[in-house]
Amino acid sequence: MSTKPLPLEPMRHVFREELDQLRLQVELMGLRVDENLERMRQNLRTGDEIVADAAFTADNEIDAMNVSLTERCYLLLGRESPVASDLRFIVSVLRIVSELERVGDLALRVVKLTPKHHLLVRSEVVFDILVTLSDEAVEYFRVALRAWSAQDLRLATELATQNRNLDLYYERLISELKALEGPDAVRIAIAAFAAGRALERIADHSAIIGARLRYLITGEPAHLAAEVR
Amino acid sequence: MSFTSTIGVGGEAAARSIEAQLKRGGGDTTGRIFKLLLQLSLVVSVGVLVVLFVDVFATGTSVFTTRAESFLSSGIRTSADAAGVFQAIRGTLWIGVFTVVLAFPIGIAAAVYLEEYATKGRLTNFIDLNIRNLAGVPSIVYGILGLTLFVQRFEGFTGGRTLMAAGITLAILVLPIVIITSAEAVRAVPNSLREAGYGVGATRWEVTRTQVLPYALPGIITGTVLALARSIGEAAPLLLCGAVTGLLPGRQGLIDPSQLTERFTALPIVIADWARTPREGFDEIAAAAIIVTLAIVLAMNTLAIALRNRFEKKRN
Amino acid sequence: MAPDINLTEPAIVDESVDVTPETPGAASGPVPEVVFEVSDLSVYYGDFRAVRDVNIAVHKHEITAFIGPSGCGKTTVLRCFNRMNDLIDIARVEGNVSYHGVDLYDREVNPVEVRRRIGMVFQKPNPFPKSIYDNVAYGPKIAGVKANMDDVVEKALRGAGLWDEVKSRLKASGMGLSGGQQQRLCIARAIATEPEVLLMDEPCSSLDPIATARIEDLMQEIKDKYTIVIVTHNMQQAARVSDRTAFFTTEVNAESDTRTGLLVEVGSTDTMFSNPGDERTENYVTGRFG
Repeated sequence: MSTKPLPLEPMRHVFREELDQLRLQVELMGLRVDENLERMRQNLRTGDEIVADAAFTADNEIDAMNVSLTERCYLLLGRESPVASDLRFIVSVLRIVSELERVGDLALRVVKLTPKHHLLVRSEVVFDILVTLSDEAVEYFRVALRAWSAQDLRLATELATQNRNLDLYYERLISELKALEGPDAVRIAIAAFAAGRALERIADHSAIIGARLRYLITGEPAHLAAEVR
Repeated sequence: MSFTSTIGVGGEAAARSIEAQLKRGGGDTTGRIFKLLLQLSLVVSVGVLVVLFVDVFATGTSVFTTRAESFLSSGIRTSADAAGVFQAIRGTLWIGVFTVVLAFPIGIAAAVYLEEYATKGRLTNFIDLNIRNLAGVPSIVYGILGLTLFVQRFEGFTGGRTLMAAGITLAILVLPIVIITSAEAVRAVPNSLREAGYGVGATRWEVTRTQVLPYALPGIITGTVLALARSIGEAAPLLLCGAVTGLLPGRQGLIDPSQLTERFTALPIVIADWARTPREGFDEIAAAAIIVTLAIVLAMNTLAIALRNRFEKKRN
Repeated sequence: MAPDINLTEPAIVDESVDVTPETPGAASGPVPEVVFEVSDLSVYYGDFRAVRDVNIAVHKHEITAFIGPSGCGKTTVLRCFNRMNDLIDIARVEGNVSYHGVDLYDREVNPVEVRRRIGMVFQKPNPFPKSIYDNVAYGPKIAGVKANMDDVVEKALRGAGLWDEVKSRLKASGMGLSGGQQQRLCIARAIATEPEVLLMDEPCSSLDPIATARIEDLMQEIKDKYTIVIVTHNMQQAARVSDRTAFFTTEVNAESDTRTGLLVEVGSTDTMFSNPGDERTENYVTGRFG
């Protein structure tokens, strides 16, 4: 007597839709952060104060999204008792959302250096490296966004594990700063270091987003350990 | 903010229509007619009984008011003034004893076997069907059985046309009823009770003895009383087993085992005989004998109900 | 080294003899001792195959949960462990169910002895229509236990967490208790014969949440004295309470359009609920597909 599996009916429609919504909302938050990173990049090049103001305003929205998405996750956890991949998803959303918020804060940190812009452009070498760093960081973040929106394991793994050109640029920046001379050397170094550090951290947090996405998809304990750095 | 203040003209009309909808209907004439018919049936049934009672009591009470003691202590006679029901009561009681001693244990045991032990299948269905058929066989057929078997074939054992022959015959007559009602009572025992017993490591007999039978007892009692009432009320087998109607010589004691192998009489026969006798006075004593029978049946039913309630309370 | 189990002669339960099975290893060293070993088990009701090809091991002092949709054979398999399927005339068992190495369905094995060692608690509480005392004493009495019955009853009632609530009214009827209390009474009744294993068939499904929580707590408390197998529809309960989980599902028979149950996956509960191997298990525990 041969047996075959029963036809499956999808269930828990409301919950499934909520999870879909959550995924899209995270993507949306990521886009807002990306917009602010773009403003940061522009502001770094030009020192434009209007762009800076726009960035500050936009960051409020990012913070608000962080709060509302976090609350939504808690609600779903309490209401739906998720297990297995659903639980991993919601917990990962919680943690990725907090990473996105950090990236937003870091972008602001660079923007807050606008008053010091004249210092940053003083040394051409330093300024070049900073601009490159900002390009790299933003690009890196965009890979994380793409990975999330496609739930792409390969991209997530790349983010989590690969070495970055950005680190090399960062080291280069440090050595250039150490070699600075002149009456404003220290003030330039402090400002440039602050900017460089923030940009490097943006890349770090993007990598963490990749690692958390990887754990979400595979569920392997080893991947959970790897993301906690 | 009160409810009414938020209703505009349209709202008020809506509320009124809801009220109208809720308050309509409730006629249900068909239902009322049906209920009336049911009540009528009940009245007719009770009415018949009432008429019977009134008639019997009207005719028979005079016997008890004039010569109650002699009526109850004399044997059957050819004259209405001297006849009594003593021997008939004796015969009926003995037949009751036979039913209890023979039909009850055998019937209950058979029911327990069929319900608890036998594997359900074509054979048990066949047996069940046949038992039900036997319950519907006319009592005269059992009478013939009694005549051929117990009166004639086993004359050496029963003594021929005796109480014993009649008692055994009537016990056999009600056996199917006992089996059916006991089986029903056993079947009504919830299976969860059996499972609980087996689950704790009881054998089939232990489960039957300690769980099933105590639980089924009220139902079994009800069934056995039904059977008993039937057995002492049947006249046809008594006739064929040779119940005496005119005069019955012999010992007078109430409980004397040697009477089992002697000629006998019983209430149904006596009633039938006296009711058919056209001579004066016999209508009255027939009615009086009916009253005695009813009294005995009432006593048995009361006892049964008392027993059943007691066991039902125990199993609560 | 399994204890020498003789299931063909009546057990003489003597309190003075220490029948406590060996305690499991403290650290996470060797695999715990196997109590039940099921291989290629199929159960038929007449011609209809209710469940097929079950292979599972139940370990000592563990709580094993059977989960799965309705009609997948979880209760049928559970009832094989204490020969309760014998009560159904048309039930037939193929394959092997071993208890400490002994084939439970061997001709010479006495099911009454089996059920004294492997107790059962049912879905709807079913106390006997007797007093609380008599309910608990029933099992030991018919097993011929010679010990002081008062002590036996008290021990069992304490073990079920019911003693304090009923100690002043042991002669009251068992049916007068609340649903949760009745179920604990049934647990006391089952453990009164000092079984090694407790089989529980959806024990909390007719109880309110508080009564359910009480019984779940009880299961955790008594786990180190018994081996428990529980069938449950409540997945959170299985996740909370059990060490190992077995997931069953149903399949459709092509010809007869009937359903046959089968075991999909067995594993540690943590794994089954966080990252199960089989997609069907994942679909069931997340409720994604039904």
